[in-house]
Amino acid sequence: MKKQSKGVKDRPRISGKDFNQYKYFRPKSKKELIRIINGFQEDLTIIAGGTDLLVANYQKLYEIKNWLDLNLLDELKNIKMFDDKVEIGSMVTHQRLSKLDQIKELFPVLHQAAADVGSPQIRSRGTIGGNIVTSSPAGDLLPPLLIYDAKLKIISGEGSRVVDANEFFTGPKKNILKKGEILEKIIIPLKEDIYKGAWIKVGKRKALIISSISLALNLSMDRSNLIKKARICIGSAAPVPLRIKTAEQAILKEELTKINIEEVAQIVSEKISPIDDIRGTAKYRRQVALNITRKALSEVMNQ
Amino acid sequence: MQKVKVSLTVNRKKYNLEVDPDERLLDSLRDRLHLTGVKEGCSIGECGACTVIIDGKAVNSCMVYTFQIDGSHVLTVEGLEIDGRLDPLQLSFIEHQAVQCGFCTPGMLMSAKALLNKNPNPDKEAIKTAIEGNLCRCTGYQQIIEAIEAVVKKDGSE
Ligand SMILES: Cc1cc2nc3c(=O)[nH]c(=O)nc-3n(C[C@H](O)[C@H](O)[C@H](O)COP(=O)(O)OP(=O)(O)OC[C@H]3O[C@@H](n4cnc5c(N)ncnc54)[C@H](O)[C@@H]3O)c2cc1C
Ligand code: FES
Ligand code: FES
Repeated sequence: MKKQSKGVKDRPRISGKDFNQYKYFRPKSKKELIRIINGFQEDLTIIAGGTDLLVANYQKLYEIKNWLDLNLLDELKNIKMFDDKVEIGSMVTHQRLSKLDQIKELFPVLHQAAADVGSPQIRSRGTIGGNIVTSSPAGDLLPPLLIYDAKLKIISGEGSRVVDANEFFTGPKKNILKKGEILEKIIIPLKEDIYKGAWIKVGKRKALIISSISLALNLSMDRSNLIKKARICIGSAAPVPLRIKTAEQAILKEELTKINIEEVAQIVSEKISPIDDIRGTAKYRRQVALNITRKALSEVMNQ
Repeated sequence: MQKVKVSLTVNRKKYNLEVDPDERLLDSLRDRLHLTGVKEGCSIGECGACTVIIDGKAVNSCMVYTFQIDGSHVLTVEGLEIDGRLDPLQLSFIEHQAVQCGFCTPGMLMSAKALLNKNPNPDKEAIKTAIEGNLCRCTGYQQIIEAIEAVVKKDGSE
């Protein structure tokens, strides 16, 4: 006799009669993956680490009929270094991002954000691809990806396309991905400039917390130590991770030590469009936006 | 009901299971293998009571479908005891009174074990990070951290 675990008892189970319609695919190569997407017309639920899916669907997992599990696709687990870019497979976990020295060296803000996700148990399963496709405004890897000008390679039965991460997100939990499309990898361009970056995540406690607000900052310095490119992105304070372009413009070509911190902080605080929710009020978020912008800029000045 | 065939090594023993397509690893371990040391607290990844080690990594067993980990090695709290001898972590938890109601203990032990397997000499910060996904409502964590630290120290002095 199979005992039902607590909390599961109300969950209807798949009846034997229906199950013949249910399918479970576990491709081992990209070729096989494409063949499945092309050959299967019904809805397919893509599962990576499952840490978002199992929570979102806990009460109605039985409704999912056809699974496409990406866990055996080693091609999607690679991190490849080139002279001018780094490619990160969508199935790379937060744990790997937070442990790899190369990521720490090249993209410290992404590295830090991955280390701050959830808990060791969540980091060992949760993937960068799942974080992107869930497209939560509070997704912690999204602001870091935007400040490094990441691009996303999307594949489908029809071919592939590459889009700017900045254009991928269209609203809370919404993005441009179409049915039958898979996020294959994240491409981050590498420049010879010196980067100075900061990551700040604000939440009610340190572990296992969804960000109330977050900030990712990256400044590229030119040879005479002027700011050549600036990227400031705020998470959890708008429907999508939001680059504050007016603030970025305001500090271009400045010397780092001469940045008007107060002016930048004011712009950031005005440009976000926060809401009231259980993690904080809009007013609170605007105030915290001021504080974390000040803090991030002072941090990079001391780097 | 049509089942999915999965083979797993659990606590060093091989099992060929036929699981339901919507069965979580937590369900398989508790209900099929009767490993009830694996606890269900929140069911959504927040409490860590269901933590087991899959292929060397601490994982919430409520967050994984059994069908997803075909071929993997799983270690639960029951597997810490070998030939009637408790793991040094278990002995240290007893010695330092790191157990009160005990509900969080199996998960805590597995998170600590996963840490020590990878890093036999963690500092206090690393210990705290390793158990940051495990909630304890009783001890206030202090005794748990001390119990893990004591194992580390003993190891170092040998
Ligand atoms: C307790 C807990 C704490 C958490 N803490 C944090 C946190 O601090 N910060 C944070 O940002 N997130 C957090 N999360 C959310 C989650 O862990 C992350 O967003 C994680 O990165 C999701 O990845 P996954 O592989 O588990 O996704 P899955 O759950 O497998 O998938 C998520 C969604 O993306 C789709 N998908 C996945 N991969 C692809 C792909 N390659 N192509 C197309 N579609 C795809 C799936 O169909 C699904 O809709 C937490 C979750 C839990 C349960
Ligand atoms: S029951 Fe799995 S984390 Fe709480
Ligand atoms: S001992 Fe009771 S929850 Fe930790």
